[in-house]
Amino acid sequence: MLENVKYYISVALYYFKLSLQKQFEYPAMIISCVFMIPMMYGTGILLLYFMVHNFQPLGGWSFPQLAFLFGIGYLSHGLMMVFSVQNWWIESYVLRGEFDRMLLRPLSVFFQFTVTYINFIGLVDVLVGLTIFLYSCKLINFVWSLHNIITIAFVIIGGVLIRSSIFTIFCSVAFWTKRSESLFLLLNDMLERTTQYPMTIYPYFVQFMLTFIVPIAFISFYPACEILGKDGRIVFPLEMSVYTPIIGIVMFILANMFFNLGLKKYESAGS
Amino acid sequence: MAFLEVENLVKEFTVTKKKEGLKGAVSSLFHPEKYKVRAVDNISFNIEQGEIVGFIGPNGAGKSTAVKMMTGILHPTMGSVKINGISPHKNRKAVVGKLGVVFGQRTQLYWDLRLGETFELLKRIYKIDDKMYKDNIKMLDEVLNITEIIDTPVRQLSLGQRMRGDLAAAMLHSPTMLFLDEPTIGLDIEAKHSIRNFIKQINERCGTTVILTTHDLGDVEELCKRLIVINHGKIVEDGPLNSIIERMAPYRYLVVELASPHHNLFHPAAEVVKTETLRVWFKFDKSRIAATELISDLSKTYPIRDVSVKEPDIEDMIMEIYKKPVIF
Ligand SMILES: Nc1ncnc2c1ncn2[C@@H]1O[C@H](COP(=O)(O)OP(=O)(O)O)[C@@H](O)[C@H]1O
Ligand SMILES: [Mg+2]
Repeated sequence: MLENVKYYISVALYYFKLSLQKQFEYPAMIISCVFMIPMMYGTGILLLYFMVHNFQPLGGWSFPQLAFLFGIGYLSHGLMMVFSVQNWWIESYVLRGEFDRMLLRPLSVFFQFTVTYINFIGLVDVLVGLTIFLYSCKLINFVWSLHNIITIAFVIIGGVLIRSSIFTIFCSVAFWTKRSESLFLLLNDMLERTTQYPMTIYPYFVQFMLTFIVPIAFISFYPACEILGKDGRIVFPLEMSVYTPIIGIVMFILANMFFNLGLKKYESAGS
Repeated sequence: MAFLEVENLVKEFTVTKKKEGLKGAVSSLFHPEKYKVRAVDNISFNIEQGEIVGFIGPNGAGKSTAVKMMTGILHPTMGSVKINGISPHKNRKAVVGKLGVVFGQRTQLYWDLRLGETFELLKRIYKIDDKMYKDNIKMLDEVLNITEIIDTPVRQLSLGQRMRGDLAAAMLHSPTMLFLDEPTIGLDIEAKHSIRNFIKQINERCGTTVILTTHDLGDVEELCKRLIVINHGKIVEDGPLNSIIERMAPYRYLVVELASPHHNLFHPAAEVVKTETLRVWFKFDKSRIAATELISDLSKTYPIRDVSVKEPDIEDMIMEIYKKPVIF
């Protein structure tokens, strides 16, 4: 068991190393890195400025509360961009027969696909999210207790799992249809619109769908409700933030199953 | 039990027909016209350990599709594959760890990185220990001069060097069976030669079973004792090279050199296939007429200076296959 874990970690780390090295092979990449750090902060601050001036209290949420909600959501978005952006490209993997090589290796294809790419540029989004999140923490007088730090960490990890699993599931439709791009665009738009604002501004049935059908509401809305003491309209037993990592793991398992089901339909590509 | 057993293997692809124009596009959206392509049509054969088997046939014959099914990439529509008694479709991980697979048209190497980086990744994936890794690199250096290119970024390698890299990558974990799909495609003579040499060497040294698909008749002549000829998804021939040529092309050529130009040469049992001013090629079926008889008949009527008999080669055999009508 421990041997196995060590094996998977060593393979994953080597995949990460190679995909980073690959991105650094290009001079444009290095140049963008030099500019990136100041740029990242610039974007973050601009975004904040924009938010301060444009965000009116919304659905009973004050600006600092909205920024907190946005920050949590954007952090998990950023980490998803770093670790599992390749889900967006399942369609082209299918059309170009790129799963052939993974099928030839004595490892789970889903595992290989998950670790095959790490997106350096995604760090821009992580830093933007972090800036906004930390700033909002200050505004709401967030208490940095051990309990709160652990809660936030689990919520963010859970959020990343939920986000990337949703993409895996929807984009895996390409295994059957060879097309999933329009689904992906729809989903991306939906995620953007629904993780940045409180669910309470939407009709109840929308929130119901985004809770029980596509559990987007657990990415940022419910955990923020709990931490900020807001009314989330739908009441659950236990603390709301407990659900995010659990649903994240359940979604990840479902994504793995759905992906494997699709892989059975995989037909490689004619040359 | 044979090492590789392929039984009644069938693969059908469902293809959506594309219609022309906007109207066509709209109508295919609502009423997609689908039809089935039988890329591999009920093939069966066995391969023993240590064999080098050539898989040949024209473009689109179904060679790559067959390889993809044997290696577990594609699930068959019908039929089964067993390697060492295990099905790659039921137990993929157990089977593929012992296979090496190279597709000449694509690469598994990291394009932007030095060749050695891909090797290091494979070392981890296949759990190759340091000693085995070192031994294999040493062996691969002897047959492919791999250390000469191991530190070069793959994108800077020539096609031949890249192919050497791909072959080495496929051999790092000492597979018992190697599938090569058009490994010599697009290569120059020298590169082809080094790849043929590699195949021979690993077959002799490591006892690796090799299945090779190719268009290149030189590959087959030099490497394969056994040939499987496939056309329109079906096996048309399976056996030793010589006997296949015998069966597919059971004729000879008689090249006649004339003392003076002569037109309209004719013989009832032979066919003129080519004429130059002083040279005429007759094609004859050796079961219908013996060469000696043909020569004596011709020399009675025509001013003949010299004759030679030519055996058909594999190229002639391929021509015969291409000519075969399609039967659905
Ligand atoms: N992934 C695929 N989807 C649809 N049709 C395919 C696919 N792969 C191969 N084919 C079709 O199957 C037939 C056999 O192809 P292939 O096995 O690549 O032939 P070969 O390797 O002998 O040239 C061709 O008609 C090809 O168009
Ligand atoms: Mg092919």
